[in-house]
Amino acid sequence: MQSDPHILRAFDRDLEAVQALVLRMGTLVEEALLSAARGLRDRDIALAQQVRQGDAAVDALEEQINQECARVIALRAPTASDLRTVLTVMKVASNLERCGDYAKNLAKRSTVLNQSPPIGDSAASVYRMATAVQQQLKDALDAYLRRDAELAAAVRLRDQEIDQIYSALFREILTHMMEDPRHITGCMHLHFIAKNIERVGDHATGIAEQVIYLVTGTLPADQRPKGDTTAFETGA
Amino acid sequence: MNDMRIVERDVDTQKAKITARGVQVHYGTTHALKDVNVDILDNTVTAFIGPSGCGKSTFLRCLNRMNDTVASARVSGEILIDGENIYDKRVDPVQLRAKVGMVFQKPNPFPKSIYDNVAYGPKIHGMTRNKADLDEIVESALRKAALWNEAKDRLNAPGTGLSGGQQQRLCIARAIATSPEVLLMDEPCSALDPIATAQVEELIDELRASFSVVIVTHSMQQAARVSQRTAFFHLGNLVEYGETGTIFTNPTDPRTESYISGRIG
Repeated sequence: MQSDPHILRAFDRDLEAVQALVLRMGTLVEEALLSAARGLRDRDIALAQQVRQGDAAVDALEEQINQECARVIALRAPTASDLRTVLTVMKVASNLERCGDYAKNLAKRSTVLNQSPPIGDSAASVYRMATAVQQQLKDALDAYLRRDAELAAAVRLRDQEIDQIYSALFREILTHMMEDPRHITGCMHLHFIAKNIERVGDHATGIAEQVIYLVTGTLPADQRPKGDTTAFETGA
Repeated sequence: MNDMRIVERDVDTQKAKITARGVQVHYGTTHALKDVNVDILDNTVTAFIGPSGCGKSTFLRCLNRMNDTVASARVSGEILIDGENIYDKRVDPVQLRAKVGMVFQKPNPFPKSIYDNVAYGPKIHGMTRNKADLDEIVESALRKAALWNEAKDRLNAPGTGLSGGQQQRLCIARAIATSPEVLLMDEPCSALDPIATAQVEELIDELRASFSVVIVTHSMQQAARVSQRTAFFHLGNLVEYGETGTIFTNPTDPRTESYISGRIG
């Protein structure tokens, strides 16, 4: 992952080991998000259950990463890009842990939703949004792995597309509620799911920003464009 | 964002104490230092880091004309202390060295009493008129060097009988007894244990209030701990000079990055 090896090769092994944990965590979280969304779309309760149980592994990985980072700081006194790597690893792990929680919450709510009839094709819309966000997460982690600030910047800018999907879904859910008040409970759950997936997108953006810090030494200063208009939605 | 740093060690002044312009040093046919330009601040600890043979000690030794004593050494360019060129013909190197004190790698007390080690400089520079004055200077220097409490009851004991860390602090007391304005330290802790090292580092931080301190060190962590400014030398070039926190988190030059992170560069 780094251009030049350390003279003390054990340092490289430590850094690589801790970064491998982050990538494993990323893979688990991406899978959890997709499986949870598929469980909702396909009304697959077993799959949802599997996602709920899988989150403990993600949490355990975050804990392990924090401990390993503490050891690297204490024993290796990392500087410059090594230091930024350790700081980035801890932040990315924290971002991924939250994403894991959102996937778990999606699975929980889908278990409830599956007990009543489907609301239009909202579940399919949610699934499409989840795949878009999973791609964001994947690209952010690829940018991290390759130390690719340009890809990270692209991921960061693409978050507005996620926001736009969320805004559209927000209106779709609102329409279902206005059409038939019996849908309100289900729609509330659907909306929380959509919001949580949108939050996963924000964490992907956070990871992308960390990659930019890791590569350049500074966080991007400019405001990124926002596509979420629901804060101004009146329902009229 | 950079204005909100908490851990940034403030420098008390932006005033340059030492200004080097186009400094080159040759030892015979070896070009040891290539066109060094730098402003070293007053009341600031400046660390010189770099691999062996990079020129950092050579540059340090230019600052009090120690290279004059090396027959093959040729120094060119300008070094100004408070705006005065120290290589000017009218400058007496002995007087200069009273103003620019130096502490070496290994503690090297004179084979004399603790008292005489410290009193030697002020005496030869005629800084005192009587014994009472001298007593005062010795006590003050030993206090500043954080050695007074350990040495006050044995001032007549030989300096060489002190522990390594105490000897180094004695050498610092000796260097500051002539009221220098600049203190040069060439790996002052490399022969000391961690406790003595910490004591000397604490001392360096206190001395910053009175002097411009320049320290050459092979310990990157020591440079990070004690300095506010760091200069990285490589193959006779001053590669990078800047705020220590920046050098250690986000250096500009890839050679600095490789060196401080322990990579083959």
